Amino acid sequence: MKKSKPLIALITALTALTACASSSNTTNPQEVVLVAYDAFTPQEGIFDDFTTDTGVAVKVVTAGDTGTMVSKAILTAGKPEGDVMWGIDNTFLSRAQKADLLTSYEPVDEGDICVNYDKNWFTQRNIPVPQTFEDLTKPAYKNLLVVQDPTTSSPGLGFMLATIAHFGDEEWQNYWKQLTANNVKIVSDWTTAYTVEFSGSSGKGKYPLVVSYGSSPPAEVVYSATPITKPPTGVMESTCFRQTEYVGVLRGTKNEKIASQLVEYFLDKKFQESMPLTLFVFPINKDAQLPDVFTKFAVQPNNPLTIGPDSIEKNRDTWLDAWRAIAL
Amino acid sequence: MARRLESNRFVMNTVQRTMRRAQLLPLAALALFFGFPVISMLVRFLRPQDIVDTISTSSLTQVWWFTTWQASASTALTVIIGLPLTWTIARYSFKGSKTIIGLVTVPFFMPAVVVATGVASIVDSPSVAGILWAHVVFNVAVVVRIVGARWALMDPALEDTAADLGATTWRTFRYISLPYIADSLRQATAIVFMFCFSSFGVIAILGGISRRTIEAEVFIQAVRLGDTKTAIALSALQAIVIFAVYTIGTCGTQNNDELTLATQQRTTPRRFRIATAIAVIIPTAIVLAPLVGAIIRSFIIDNAPSLNAYRWLFNGTTESIGINATQTITTSTIFATITALITTASALVIAAARNKRQFINTATAVPLMTSAVTLGLGIIVTFNDGIINWRGERWLIPIMHCVIALPLALRTLDPAVRAIPEEMRQAAASLGASPWRVWCRIDIPLLTPAIKRAAGLSAAISLGEFGATSFLTRSDSTTIPIAIQQLLGHPGDTLTHSAFALAALCVVTFTLALRAA
Repeated sequence: MKKSKPLIALITALTALTACASSSNTTNPQEVVLVAYDAFTPQEGIFDDFTTDTGVAVKVVTAGDTGTMVSKAILTAGKPEGDVMWGIDNTFLSRAQKADLLTSYEPVDEGDICVNYDKNWFTQRNIPVPQTFEDLTKPAYKNLLVVQDPTTSSPGLGFMLATIAHFGDEEWQNYWKQLTANNVKIVSDWTTAYTVEFSGSSGKGKYPLVVSYGSSPPAEVVYSATPITKPPTGVMESTCFRQTEYVGVLRGTKNEKIASQLVEYFLDKKFQESMPLTLFVFPINKDAQLPDVFTKFAVQPNNPLTIGPDSIEKNRDTWLDAWRAIAL
Repeated sequence: MARRLESNRFVMNTVQRTMRRAQLLPLAALALFFGFPVISMLVRFLRPQDIVDTISTSSLTQVWWFTTWQASASTALTVIIGLPLTWTIARYSFKGSKTIIGLVTVPFFMPAVVVATGVASIVDSPSVAGILWAHVVFNVAVVVRIVGARWALMDPALEDTAADLGATTWRTFRYISLPYIADSLRQATAIVFMFCFSSFGVIAILGGISRRTIEAEVFIQAVRLGDTKTAIALSALQAIVIFAVYTIGTCGTQNNDELTLATQQRTTPRRFRIATAIAVIIPTAIVLAPLVGAIIRSFIIDNAPSLNAYRWLFNGTTESIGINATQTITTSTIFATITALITTASALVIAAARNKRQFINTATAVPLMTSAVTLGLGIIVTFNDGIINWRGERWLIPIMHCVIALPLALRTLDPAVRAIPEEMRQAAASLGASPWRVWCRIDIPLLTPAIKRAAGLSAAISLGEFGATSFLTRSDSTTIPIAIQQLLGHPGDTLTHSAFALAALCVVTFTLALRAA
């Protein structure tokens, strides 16, 4: 009786603790949660068939760009925010493997990270479009290129790896020194680079050269406010770096079976055929038909630059550190 | 009579003894959620070679350099801007001086992210100037409070005499006032430097891509680059710097108790001149402009008045980047309530146990000196396995807020408990009150203002906490500062204005809450 006061305080504290501990388990078996990067914009209603077949709804949770999404997921590996993860690419795959993030995964789409240019900008000024990495460091192309920070952005990392694949382990740092001297602009993410700083897209920014995708030109045609037949942008093919994205089941999911079914659904022809015009990537399933605008304007070089996942994993930290010392 | 007094002493001890036993629970929790993760992280991962590497790696050398110079510049600016204001408030009593102290104190309690957003609403692009400004905004209060309390004690006759003897204003300040306030100035400078050195929220908003403090670098290394070893080495080294600054700043200074009393001795009214008006108006304007800026910008879109920012915030527009404002505000409110309840209850129990002052000072200083990012890092590398695989749990966030708030809540409550005159308790007891009755009827009512202050402070810390939360946040537990940072981190006017609207809501809420207090 006499000790009641502090006990009440303690009991209140404990109840608050347990109350908030128990509120964290809210898994709904009627739902499968897909964790994806911000730019994941699938065709509307594309999951309806999946829901009809399985009785399970698909909830999409976005988690920043690819880098942030993977880093965050690794921090809670084994206790995932969802059941399936969309969009880890070959530049981050090895990191996910090391952290044992996924129980299984499949390549789901591919594309290329390439420098894009604003056609009008170059024709109006009568300046030839740059053709090679080496061109980008010439005085004629000073102040013209915007790229993403490779520590935060997957196209940024792709572009840095492309320079390493092209110049080799000895020379690439010198190349970046020259690029920095030529005033390359560095921003944190693709959206800022392409939609704000780049002059050839919606943002009408100041930079006519941007690191984006081989499939960005058809996207310009599809999303143009006024109907156009040709894209206002082009692709520097020699700079393309092959990117493969994966979809996988997150370790620790309570819905392993339905999660695997969703992965299968992504690889199915129907979803694969919806990807080119919504996500602007090439299907991995060779049975999938490509839409016209894609076959005409998307660039997919036969011999893109590439680096193996093992080599990326082994050297990523050293490379990024060297890059940060030069470029930031 | 003698027997009765003796038995009183005995019963006083029962309250105290129960509290001493009860305090083991919050102290054990502190050990589990603070001591264990931080120590085990250092023991498991820290290698001398990594520390050497973090100093010699060239990309990190730049970070060390930037951290140090921006902290020095921010501190210098804070003192330069804060001192004239402090002097005026300490030396003159004029209408509105209380309001001004209140207003310049508001940003100190406000989330750093919100203050930085206010600066961003004025300067637009990330810049060093913006970072320094934001640091000044929420640190001027530190100078005003700490130095002001000391300065108010000084006899104005000292300065007047020097002036009568022909000393210039500068000479009077240099040789009379400065030595008088030197200790408190050193203490304030050290505290401001510590805050600026380990700045994280401000850098996240205003740092852009290439301006990073060590604190921000620890986060990037750990989360973005997945290099825990470098992150831990950096945070250990930062802790050493902060410990050194803290020691230099506080050695030889007396406890604040007497200074608090001093503020009550107001100086006599004196002639108010233009110079003194400027000394008040300019610093106040510098401090308040960003807060007002956030509010104004939230109502103006494309140069025309508009409520769209608030619409976008609540009509699902921000869902495109995974922000649901209603859910965010609810989450923050729940976390703040939990933090206020647990922290205040724990601090009350520990204070009522009336431990040795030395114990309180040490127990509270260590968590204060460990940066929030270090704690967040410690938690994610420690609570990741077996039965303590908790790092994906939502409840860990308010618990961390409690750990961060407890030292400050205790610093609020402990002096208040000590200030209760023993005679009052004895008088009540001699009239037959049981010890628990004495505690409920004497201690608690006298402590009520301090309890409210501690609860408010804890809630404010939880609402503004950014560093540790960044490590544990997930899409279903986004707090207000995290949401603002994400909104500003994405391009697009809609998102930027939604961030201003959310920041403006914080500014108004905090100002009203502080006014009520």
